[in-house]
Amino acid sequence: MALKQSGNWIHRHNYNVRICHWINVLCFTYLLLSGIMMFLQFPELYWGDVGFRGYEAIFKLSNWGLTWEEADALGNRQWGRNYHFLFAWIFLFNNLIYVGWNLRNQHFFKRMWPRRGELHKDNLKEELNQHLHLRVAKGDAAKKYNVFQKLSYLIVIFVLFPFMVISGVAQMPAFTAISPELIDLFGGRQSARTLHAISTLLLVLFVVIHVFEVFVAGATNHIRAMITGKYYLPTKEKI
Amino acid sequence: MNKKTGTLSRRKFIAGAGAMSGVLLTGCETDIYTPPEIRSGLMGVSDVLTMASQRLLMSGQGLVKEYETSDITKDFPAWGRTNPEDENYQQMASTSFTDWNLSVGGLVNRPSSFSLQDLKRLPPRTQTTMHICEQGWSAIAQWTGVPLTTLLEAAGGVKQEARYVVIDTYDGWYDAYDMFDVVHPQTILAYGMNGKDVPQGNGAPVRLRVERHCGYRNLKFLKSVQVVASVEDIGLGKGGLLSDYNWHWYAGA
Repeated sequence: MALKQSGNWIHRHNYNVRICHWINVLCFTYLLLSGIMMFLQFPELYWGDVGFRGYEAIFKLSNWGLTWEEADALGNRQWGRNYHFLFAWIFLFNNLIYVGWNLRNQHFFKRMWPRRGELHKDNLKEELNQHLHLRVAKGDAAKKYNVFQKLSYLIVIFVLFPFMVISGVAQMPAFTAISPELIDLFGGRQSARTLHAISTLLLVLFVVIHVFEVFVAGATNHIRAMITGKYYLPTKEKI
Repeated sequence: MNKKTGTLSRRKFIAGAGAMSGVLLTGCETDIYTPPEIRSGLMGVSDVLTMASQRLLMSGQGLVKEYETSDITKDFPAWGRTNPEDENYQQMASTSFTDWNLSVGGLVNRPSSFSLQDLKRLPPRTQTTMHICEQGWSAIAQWTGVPLTTLLEAAGGVKQEARYVVIDTYDGWYDAYDMFDVVHPQTILAYGMNGKDVPQGNGAPVRLRVERHCGYRNLKFLKSVQVVASVEDIGLGKGGLLSDYNWHWYAGA
């Protein structure tokens, strides 16, 4: 028998969180891919209501090593549009269910809402220091989310996700009739498109850090916990 | 061409208008929430969700935002096809479209043909709107033309079984529009752009404006208007050139 490790199994994620998490992984993958496929066939960003090839752009992919024609050849907006809308709907329903469910069982309040003292700058400094040194929480501390997890999850769920949906909707021609005010709120149709892209980059950044942290903290244990719900909690002693 | 259209009798006009209000009524009762053919699988579910939710939000048939003339974009792009190769088209273009005719047929009470002059004699509508291309660009232009309903009334109004208006163009494009879009006041056949004739690159001599849709459904170089009960026999039967090639039919998103 192998060395006996000190630790025990705890229940970490409820089944709603687990199911919604993996549906979101699928949605995010497709939304990002299909978004890129569309963007490649119009690889510039503008500000205001107006923007077209030849108009003053605030971002041009051609300045980053890919000409318009090269980008166009890589893109496929028919596929992109079909799958972007399909997965946007799945994404929307998935997150409405997720948010509704976990508001009701107080998951957000119990596990994600920062506790008193957590937002104090000494604590933030301390936790940031642990993060930067890639020190992984052990024992009781590993049972709950740390303050940066809490804040990033809350921002992603309650700020970036709604922002993606609304800035996406503000690009749709039907909304010039349904709610032109919404388009104006973003500063114009092209501004909505640009902010949609910037918000995408923030989400990609989140995913990169999130996945990186999963590997730092033990990929097998964390991925297993997100699939089965069971998490192996190491105790403070060295394993 | 058709001189009768200019001097539409009062009785016939009322009959036509009556038929149009019939369209309005059936437009509300019949299916304004689904495309003519629903794609299979999840893609069809997604299409219907998009179309139904937007149509529900637009059920009041509100107008799209109209801009000031000072907002008009200089150098409005001439995107996509800018010069149809069609021989007839080229010949008409060489004579400033004086020979151009728009046939209006199918399920109308009086199939007719309209010259550019005929169209210009009908009560016009001018609107300054934002054109949004599915590819990503947008620009603002002022369009002047005949509301599609006015044109259909001039052709005697539509028959009871009318469900879609199919438009063919000189660049080989075709698309079908349901009555929800047909009766919208800003759905016009534009012969003027920014106070001048529509330039060739933007669809001379007449292009369609369906403001609540992506640019590609605002067909250019119009050739004919046909009212039908079903799109089965149009192209591959899915209600438009792009939907025949697996794009979603509804383009409000």
